[in-house]
Amino acid sequence: MSTPLFAIEGVTKRYGGLTAVQGVSIALQAGELVGLIGPNGAGKTTCFNLITGADTVTEGRVLWQGEDVTGLRDWQRARLGMARTFQNIRLWKDMTVRDNVRTVCRAAAQAGWLDGLLRTPRHRRVEAEVGARADELLERLGVASLAALRAGDLPYGPQRKLEIARALALEPRLLLLDEPAAGMTPSEKTDLMQVVQGLRRDHGLTVLVIEHDMRFVMGICERIVVLDHGELIGQGTPDEVRRDPRVVAAYLGSA
Amino acid sequence: MGSDALPSTLVLGLSLGPTGLWWTHLLVMVGMYALLGLSLNLINGYGRMFSLGHHGFWALGAYAAGSLVHHAAGSMPGPLLFLASVVLAVGVAALGGLLIGVPCLRLKGDYLAVATLGFGEILRITIQNLPEGLLGANIGLTVPRVLLEKTPETKGLFQAGWAGLMVVAVVLVAWLVRNLVTSARGRTMLAVAQDEVAAGLLGVDPTRSKVAPFVVGAALAGLAGALYAHYQGTIAPQEFTFLEMVKMLLVVVLGGLGSISGCILAAFVLLYVEQVLQLAGQDMLPAGVPPLPASWTWLAEWWSVIYALVLVLLMIFRPHGLLGTRELNDLLRSWRTRRTGRGTGAGA
Repeated sequence: MSTPLFAIEGVTKRYGGLTAVQGVSIALQAGELVGLIGPNGAGKTTCFNLITGADTVTEGRVLWQGEDVTGLRDWQRARLGMARTFQNIRLWKDMTVRDNVRTVCRAAAQAGWLDGLLRTPRHRRVEAEVGARADELLERLGVASLAALRAGDLPYGPQRKLEIARALALEPRLLLLDEPAAGMTPSEKTDLMQVVQGLRRDHGLTVLVIEHDMRFVMGICERIVVLDHGELIGQGTPDEVRRDPRVVAAYLGSA
Repeated sequence: MGSDALPSTLVLGLSLGPTGLWWTHLLVMVGMYALLGLSLNLINGYGRMFSLGHHGFWALGAYAAGSLVHHAAGSMPGPLLFLASVVLAVGVAALGGLLIGVPCLRLKGDYLAVATLGFGEILRITIQNLPEGLLGANIGLTVPRVLLEKTPETKGLFQAGWAGLMVVAVVLVAWLVRNLVTSARGRTMLAVAQDEVAAGLLGVDPTRSKVAPFVVGAALAGLAGALYAHYQGTIAPQEFTFLEMVKMLLVVVLGGLGSISGCILAAFVLLYVEQVLQLAGQDMLPAGVPPLPASWTWLAEWWSVIYALVLVLLMIFRPHGLLGTRELNDLLRSWRTRRTGRGTGAGA
């Protein structure tokens, strides 16, 4: 098997006496679409935080294409090509929808502070490029008509879509979605499933998704990883996971 | 036409009576606080970093320009020396901003405020206690006139010239601030200000996106400092106290944290009231300057208390300032649409 795009190895996180995640290892091959499930408090979001560098690991390693990135800061890891959305939406509420995406666009980094300050030709070129890219992403997620609105004024569903558009602006190779369908209507969920599958199909994006909606997870993921009490208790195809007695016990309580 | 221009300006300048002198002085001071407010707005308004050390960067610019001119006057043509002193002031203040910003911007909220306040005060007290030969200590530093002479005969020209210069400076700085906040890097500053965690996880280096606008803000305060030194002709440490910082903060908060036109308007209102109050009992106000109502005269003694109080009240009831992030033309537009909206509604 080739080197995974991304892996965590034996990762543990302790907060004082509480162990949130215990010796978890997950590896994702490029192009995989994997679900991360488990009951509330199982440590799913903590895993995301450890992967993206929002939090530091107590033990274990985080690998990106085989290289140890455990010591990198969150923004350095993001620039490698991992982007995420948040369980409790974290848009820049006072900025416009379009500016939320423009801020993250990779091309924006080509213009320095002085370019913007003095309106150099480079500033104008970068703004044009970034603007076109942002509009394209907003179009793709179906929120283009809301571009000029303040992000905080959007309804819940479009806010979640905007978070995905913003994450895509980073041109990631790994996309981490934290409960992307939460609060969405059934039809919005169906749209979202198609969007996520389309992203992987068109751009070879690798996706790790936390989601409680089983129709969503079972519907799009080819592999599912199950956490309970901070430990990995099983993984496999949706069918295998559904039949795994430990998984069933974790969800329904053991008899 | 070109040869007429200078003498006619001269005549205009010389013909400024007491009223004209009063207004041009007001204009210069409004410009000064507009510059300080705009540059502070970049840090405290758009950047949502609570700095209380802006008077320090202002002093840094004033002393950098002042000491250069003090020592080098006569060694090169006046306008050239003026320009060199402004460039030096901007550079020194920017460097100061970098040195203070890098360690302090790791701090948040109150801690950042205390650390920057410490800088402003330490700088002032250091100048006071250095040997007199260096920066003039408590006696002050004389800054020879290198751009416009100020004698009783040329006072009008001096005042008119400075008023014009300040208008140019304010327009330039307002343009720069607007450019910065609407540029790619400026957006990363706004993002970090609103949610630093999200910004970091989406590839924005939060330290850079805070330090850079802090340095730009400091540099622009340095520009204001250089202009202040040249306009005043002498500078002393007592002019750069924390009370000035409170005034700058009031300009920013009154105008709106994140509003350029609001800042300029607030500087005008604040300085106008202050300048009117400063002339004892308003009896000395030149003709043509509208006085305040007689019942307001008690304000003169209580002015420092009042503006601190206004600041406290604004912070409680309008934490984003009177205009918030809106500009004056936004307000005009919304008034107009409300009116036309009603008009078309009645027509249909």
